[in-house]
Amino acid sequence: MGGERVGHAGMMENFSALFGGAEPPPPAAATALGFGPGKPGGPGAGPPPAAAAPQTVEDVARKAAAASGPFYLMRELPGNMELTGSTNLITHYNLEHSYNKFCGKKVKEKLSNFLPDLPGMIDLPGSHDNSSLRSLIEKPPICSSSFNPITGTMLTGFRLHAGPLPEQCRLMHIQPPKKKNKHKHKQSRTQDPVPPETPSDSDHKKKKKKKEEDPERKRKKKEKKKKKVGGSKGEELLVHFPTSLATLMLPGRDRTRN
Amino acid sequence: MAEKFDSLEEQLEKFVENIRQLGIIVSDFQPSSQAGLNQKLNFMVTGLQDIDKCRQQLHDISVPLEVFEYIDQGRNPQLYTKECLERALAKNEQVKGKIDTMKKFKSLLIQELTKVFPEDMAKYKAIRGEEPPP
Repeated sequence: MGGERVGHAGMMENFSALFGGAEPPPPAAATALGFGPGKPGGPGAGPPPAAAAPQTVEDVARKAAAASGPFYLMRELPGNMELTGSTNLITHYNLEHSYNKFCGKKVKEKLSNFLPDLPGMIDLPGSHDNSSLRSLIEKPPICSSSFNPITGTMLTGFRLHAGPLPEQCRLMHIQPPKKKNKHKHKQSRTQDPVPPETPSDSDHKKKKKKKEEDPERKRKKKEKKKKKVGGSKGEELLVHFPTSLATLMLPGRDRTRN
Repeated sequence: MAEKFDSLEEQLEKFVENIRQLGIIVSDFQPSSQAGLNQKLNFMVTGLQDIDKCRQQLHDISVPLEVFEYIDQGRNPQLYTKECLERALAKNEQVKGKIDTMKKFKSLLIQELTKVFPEDMAKYKAIRGEEPPP
């Protein structure tokens, strides 16, 4: 886990510490073996044990006894103070809140649930439309280190032909389908037409009623939106574009809320 | 910690919104919208400059590469955090189980060895001191 990281800091350090703590490396004292007098240079004989930590008189006496006793290959026990998997490491690192937040309730599966305001169809795999973040790291784009404004002559390259885009190029208008029935009639403008699932009689009546109100409500809404846009950065756009475009120009959040 | 990301988040939101509007202009282009399009294009450049400036505050932030896999597959990146925490807890419990079992084994071994080699074990206990019960 630790090997495939960009940098070393922040919250992830806690995670790596969680795993690292679960399998601690052998302590320095444990690697130093005490051998009995009968077996000089026995298997695994290494350099003399180094005193890593200050020792008490009791420790020294014990070591001396161990050296003269019947035991060889006897080593110091790892200290009890060391952090191991026997303690709840999530509690130790104060991550209960995060644990309850992410594991207590169901986390929604799709990316659009995490970024509800992002326009476009973002739930499709990035490899489909060559928009994956992985490819951005593996094959970084060749570009200069600074961003320069597009000047007059360069802008001539962005002169476009008038008229709508061909149907297959309209990726902007495809939105991930949302389950809430409340917004169904509004999304039908931006979404691909989906055949309705055989609705019951009562549902049909309700829809009819709504349709009758629709033109009046739409008109009111348009006026409301116009007022909103008037005061913001969208003002200059309203001068140039037909009203249908202006309604689409409203920020994504407002569209989903209304 | 979270304040660090506020400015980046704001810049990204502005940038995305600008791109969205740019997309709408382009999808049904009118000759009169050329000025607006040019303006949006330059907003895009300044937007990128602003995002680039946010780098200074975030140089110490690390992102695990695995999380990109989730995003690339159109999955919620919070699922990565969730799985990470679940994995950590499972591993924690597994290691705790191993430690507890080894402690039980140790005390049982001492108990049995004491029956067979009482003298040696008395010496051993003298060296080790009193072992706390598992």
